[in-house]
Amino acid sequence: MRNFVKVFLGIFIVFLLNTIFSKVSPYLILLFNLFSLVTIYFAIEKGEIYGSCLGAVCGLLQDHFSFGVYGVAGLAKTITGYLAGYISKKIDIHPFFRNFIFILILVSVEFILWALLYSFISPDSVYTGRSLIFFQPFITALLGSVLFLLFRKFKRSEP
Amino acid sequence: MPLFLKEKKNLIILIALILVQFILISIQVPLGQKDNYFERALFSIFSPIQHGIISFFSSIGKIWKNYFYLREVQSQNQIMEKEIFMLRQENNLLTNALQKFRSEKEIQENLLKMHENILPAQVIGLDATNYHKSVIINKGTMDGLKKNMVVLDKNGNLVGRVIGPISLKEARVQLITDNESGIGVFSQQERAMGVLVGDGQGQCSLEYILATTKGISEGEEIITSGFDRMYPSGIKVGKIVSINKTKSLHWQIKVEPYFDFRYLDQVAVIMKDPKEFFEN
Repeated sequence: MRNFVKVFLGIFIVFLLNTIFSKVSPYLILLFNLFSLVTIYFAIEKGEIYGSCLGAVCGLLQDHFSFGVYGVAGLAKTITGYLAGYISKKIDIHPFFRNFIFILILVSVEFILWALLYSFISPDSVYTGRSLIFFQPFITALLGSVLFLLFRKFKRSEP
Repeated sequence: MPLFLKEKKNLIILIALILVQFILISIQVPLGQKDNYFERALFSIFSPIQHGIISFFSSIGKIWKNYFYLREVQSQNQIMEKEIFMLRQENNLLTNALQKFRSEKEIQENLLKMHENILPAQVIGLDATNYHKSVIINKGTMDGLKKNMVVLDKNGNLVGRVIGPISLKEARVQLITDNESGIGVFSQQERAMGVLVGDGQGQCSLEYILATTKGISEGEEIITSGFDRMYPSGIKVGKIVSINKTKSLHWQIKVEPYFDFRYLDQVAVIMKDPKEFFEN
């Protein structure tokens, strides 16, 4: 039960932040993908099944923000969630730099998958927002590795 | 459960999830622009949450302001702001109508009636993949919103029109910069008629202006013609920023819309079915 509350809270916070960021400046949503971070974080913590299910849910939410076809981001995130859970079991991704590379690769894979699917389905080309979107994997990975480090430190300090 | 299924449980769940997403996509894609029940249902679930978050933070912001500023002055200011907003809409629409159609009594009368039908709305969400395509506003069917209703910015310039899905208190607005948007327009000075198409990058292009048309110049204002029977005539849209000659029969004309999506927090919906503008 506690796990579900944590996941729900995580998703809600990201939804809230995305809503606020889109209101503050639309460029902010292009710069980092918070839904990917939630998916990857819980996939590492709980495993690939949790990761893929959460990826599907977060993907639907992301699709809601993009007013596009529901399922495009969902599909990319489902695969990312699964990969994050599966790979994190095989290798130690806790050191900061390794964690950064791990998230960077996952977010890049997700971004490529999403862009391919989007271009295949939509008649429009992917909007790059003055090329800002290409920084998304790097900034998301940097933000993720810092946040994950803080979460781990916070967890360790818990009695 | 058989042993091989147990071993492959994770993979089976992943494949099942992927299949569900594929089915979801394949349900929506053939429908194109038409919104389906699934899309409408999700829109009705998520949009009120978004609306709630924005309203919550707006109220906190208001409390904060009230705490620091003199209450009376602020409330007066709010009333005046509202009045200015409505007057600007009226002024722009009527000035345009008078300038362009002084002789056309019918259109004048239509535009005079327009001010009674203005509904201010707040933008609560932008399209995350391309913010030049659409926005969500905090008015819906409960406020009487219908598809194709015209949306203007706070200065009375054209922003777009209401498209689906529309929930009880939220609706999606297609911006004129969306590459699937097309509007019947003409240039104010030369009266060159064409179709304004969004480029999905924040600008629009004025199509079908023959290369033989002379007199069009940069900086010229573009206004709606009403010939698309969607947008009423006389609404300011933008101005010409570049004109280039191409090998084709037409000019390549770039138009910069007057509305700026970065400051698009408040809009005005003309609460009139567009068909009514073109009746009689």
